[in-house]
Parts: sequence; structure tokens; C-alpha cells
Amino acid sequence: MSAEVVSALLLSIRVAVVATILNAIVGIPVAYALARRQFWGRAFVDLLVTLPLVLPPTVTGYYLIVLFGRRGWIGAPLYALTGWTVAFTWYAAVIAATVMALPLLVRPARAAIESVDRSLEQAARTLGRSEWRTALEVTLPLARNGILAGLVLAFTRAVGEFGATLMLAGNIPGRTTTVPLAIYTATQTGETADALVLVVGLTAVSCVVLLVAGRLGARAA
Amino acid sequence: MLSLSITKRFPGFTLDVAWEADDPVVVLFGPSGAGKTLTLQCLAGLVKPDRGRIALNGRVLFEGATETNLPPRSRRLGYVFQGYALFPHLTVEENVQFGLKGRPRAERRERARLVLERLALTGLEGRYPRELSGGQQQRVALGRALAPDPDLLLLDEPLSALDAPLRRQLREELGLVIREWGKATVLVTHDLAEAYQLADRIVVYEGGQVLQAAPKSELLWQPTSERVARLIGVRNLLCGTVLKATPEIIQLHWRDQTLEAVNSPSRLFLPPPGTLLPFFVRPEYVRLIRKDRAGVDPDHHMNLMDGLVVGDLDQGTAWTLLFRLNAPGEGSQGAYDLEIEVPKLVYEILDMARDRRWQVSIHRGSIQVLPSE
Repeated sequence: MSAEVVSALLLSIRVAVVATILNAIVGIPVAYALARRQFWGRAFVDLLVTLPLVLPPTVTGYYLIVLFGRRGWIGAPLYALTGWTVAFTWYAAVIAATVMALPLLVRPARAAIESVDRSLEQAARTLGRSEWRTALEVTLPLARNGILAGLVLAFTRAVGEFGATLMLAGNIPGRTTTVPLAIYTATQTGETADALVLVVGLTAVSCVVLLVAGRLGARAA
Repeated sequence: MLSLSITKRFPGFTLDVAWEADDPVVVLFGPSGAGKTLTLQCLAGLVKPDRGRIALNGRVLFEGATETNLPPRSRRLGYVFQGYALFPHLTVEENVQFGLKGRPRAERRERARLVLERLALTGLEGRYPRELSGGQQQRVALGRALAPDPDLLLLDEPLSALDAPLRRQLREELGLVIREWGKATVLVTHDLAEAYQLADRIVVYEGGQVLQAAPKSELLWQPTSERVARLIGVRNLLCGTVLKATPEIIQLHWRDQTLEAVNSPSRLFLPPPGTLLPFFVRPEYVRLIRKDRAGVDPDHHMNLMDGLVVGDLDQGTAWTLLFRLNAPGEGSQGAYDLEIEVPKLVYEILDMARDRRWQVSIHRGSIQVLPSE
């Protein structure tokens, strides 16, 4: 196995793990808010987290450049302040993977939270719980299966992300070349052996994750 | 002492109710969609009324004018939900301990043990709700609500999830638990038998409004309107024309008869002659005049009427006779005019299965007039 292959695999796993953690931190509260709270801009938030699902990844990537690029809305002040830009680093790959994976967590998690019997939450509130404690002790534990399923989907999406990653992080071998990008490069340059190893590796990882998730789901049910 | 006066408006439905109670068990009774459960939710703080005031033993739980609205967790109420709402991911013991959070661990365990023991749930601590029978689930729900020692217990249709035979058994069990724990209780039901058996005071709901709130016995004997009489299942609900009304008596024309009813002195209801007036006669208060006894005593036997038994229904311990008066035209309840209830023994002694012609009398105190709407 070539050094490129190994570094692509390690990078992909690192990016996917971090993106999944970020998804959990951002996505679960967003899913809860969409399922249970009425707030100003709710429809907009709903649209925003769902869009990456329907837009071409390159379009999402373009928006991410507008936001995080060196001259972007967030990127420019950041660059002015620190002289550092997120574009073309592995952090950029994490951002791209997180945004692209978010709808795959939020949608099933939201559906699972919505299906929790509201009288259970009301019972918790009459038994001395704040809404926050009720969410932690009742709603989220009961929505656990849907949330786990969403996290698994988000992880596999993060592993396989290509378009938006290419736009924001580029394809710099050893720094931002994740497995899908490495497969593309290897195929384009005729290194079919490397491509095959990566394709098989990616397929295997996806299969293992799905099997583990299925096992988890079966045990939880 | 619980006093409540609230308004809550929804598109197509408005709850606008006010009642007070100082009774151990208050039953909110009425058809589905009358606003009973909504009232409980307002009491518990799960729904915020548009305006009004709710106070329990002098403690204000909600007051629109001062923007007071205690959150559910600070109201100290135990709520037993329709369908019980037991936490499916927690064991029986964890469910019962749920409301004891913040107390020392030893105290929580001791309190839960006591509650489970009193409700005959010992041995089921480690079970999950789905592993319990309907009766056990009900007791766990009660235990969970009672464990934190609330000021008031709220029960929303506690028996509606059950089949009829189990329902009757659990109704008795529930009555015992409520009395034994001595907790002030507000119970919601659309089941008349449940209301009668469990209530001290009944608040009759319909269409988001309170029609009548009264001690149980008063409600049974003096429903204030025809609507209430219908809702509480009064039989022989009839309609006559006023001939004469004085503070003492009201004379009515009904089915070619002249009936005399006592005008309840507290009501001083004086409708002008010609008014159509609903009234009712309890089937068990219609007297049959025995043919084997000496004549009619006018002090005793008022409102005498002749007629024919046209049908009888076996009620188990009594017969219900369908009695048709000797008067032209259709009976006031279809084929008959009055339902009369007779104990089985009397029915047999008087050989009523064969002897169908009878004279009946109704004491004027047994005819209840209802103010017309």
C-alpha cells in the first residue's frame, strides 16, 4: 500500500469522526428545536439544514467558500485577525463533511423526537423537571434509536463526501486528500491498484458501520 | 380549597370556566371535547390560560392580571395521565422515584419502598411498564404521582384504557386508594358510573363551559337545567305545559293529566301559564296502587293516573316497566309514557307478568321541574 493510500484512509477516518461529533453537538439540539419548539426563523433553519441534501455538493461547497474562504464573510475577518485561513486545510474537509452530513442526522432524529409521546414529557414536567432536564432524561433517551441511526448515516456520509470537500479543502495529497478524492485522483492518473484498494476499503468500512448500527438498533428495540 | 376561573381561546373552541371546591374528590364530568382535560392541563401548568386565576389553598398558581404563572414543576400537583404515561425506559422503581429527585438517595429509596408497599406493588420494582397488567400500570402511575406528596392529585380518565369488567374492579380500587391516601383529588371522566361512585362534588362540563357545579347528591336531585339532566342520564325526562305556578306548587298539563309538583322554595320559579316546562320523574319513585288494598288516600296518593304496562325490561335485580297512560295520541316517550322501576320481589308478588292494567301515583315531591332554557 502506498503512503498516499494510508494517509488518505487515516485522514478520512479523522475527518469523519470529528464531523460526526460536530454533528451530534449541533444536529441533536437543532433536531430537538425543530421538533418541539416554536421560534422565530424556524422555517428558515429547517430549510438551511435540509438544503445540502438537495443541492449539488459543488453548490454547497461554493457557499462554504463564500462563508469560510480567505475573502469569505467569516473567513476574511478570521484571516485579518490571525493570518490563518481554514481553506485548503483538513479543517475545511471537516466543515464540508459536517454540513453535508447534517441533514442525514437531523431528519431521522427530528422524526424520532416528534414521535415521543408528549404526555411523557408533560409527566416529567409535573414531576419537577425543567424542559431542559425533561429533554435529557425523557425525550432524548426515548428517541435514541432514531438519533443513533442518524449519527450512523451522518458518519458514512462524512466518510464519502467528495464535492463540497473538493471545493473548500481542495485536493492536496497528504493534507486534504480524503479517500473519495484519492480514488478520483488514482483513477484519473491510472493508478488502478491504489484505486481498487481504496474502493474496497471504503466499501468495507461502510458495511461494518451499517452492520454495527443494525446490531445496535436491534438491541435497543 | 381550590378555586379556578379561567378563559382559554382556541380556533373553534373556547374554554371559559369558573368553579370552586373544598371537597376531597371533585369530578369533572361531561362529554368528550367539553374542556375537562384542558382544565386539568391549565391546573397543572401544562397549558397557559389567556386570563383568569387559579389558586390552591391560598397559593396562587396562575393569575393573568399579575402575570403569575408557576411552571408545572413548582405547582406540587400529582398528575395521572390518560393512558398513564409511564416512562417506558425506566423500571417501576425508577418511575416512582422520578419525582423525588434532589432528595437524598436513602430517602428516595425509602419513600419509593413505602409507596410501592401501600399500593401492593412490592416485588415488581425491577419490571418495566410494558411487563405490567393494566391494573398494575394504574397503581404505578398513582404511586409516581403520589410519591412526592403533592398538594392535589389530578386524574385524567384513569379508567378509560380498560375493558368493562376490569374497569369496574379498578374503579373500586381507585376509590379506595383515593380515600385511603386522603389526597384532595380532581378527576376527569365522561363515565357516569365513575362520576357517581368516586365524586363528592361534580362539575358538569359541556362545550367549554360549566353547566352546574354541586355536591353529588344535590346534582342528582336538582339538576338546574334540562341539558344537565340529559347529561347525567335522568330518565323520564318529560315536558308539560304550566297551568298555574305559586311559590309552593306548580301545576302542569301533561298527556291529558293535571300534575302537581312541589316548587322548590329555594328556586321560587314562577313561569307564566302556558310555558312549556321540562320535568322529570325518577322511575323508582312511581307508586303502583295495589288492588288488594283499601281505597286511595288523597294525602298520600297524588297525581293518580291509569294505564297499561306495554313492555318490561329485566334489569337483573329489578324490572323496568314501560307504562302507557290511558290517553289518546302517541306516548310521550314513543310507545310509552313512563318508565317505572319495580323490585323483582314486588313484580312477582303482584303477578305483574300477567296483570298489566294498573293505577299509578306520583308524589308531588317526586316530580322535579327544570327551569326552561
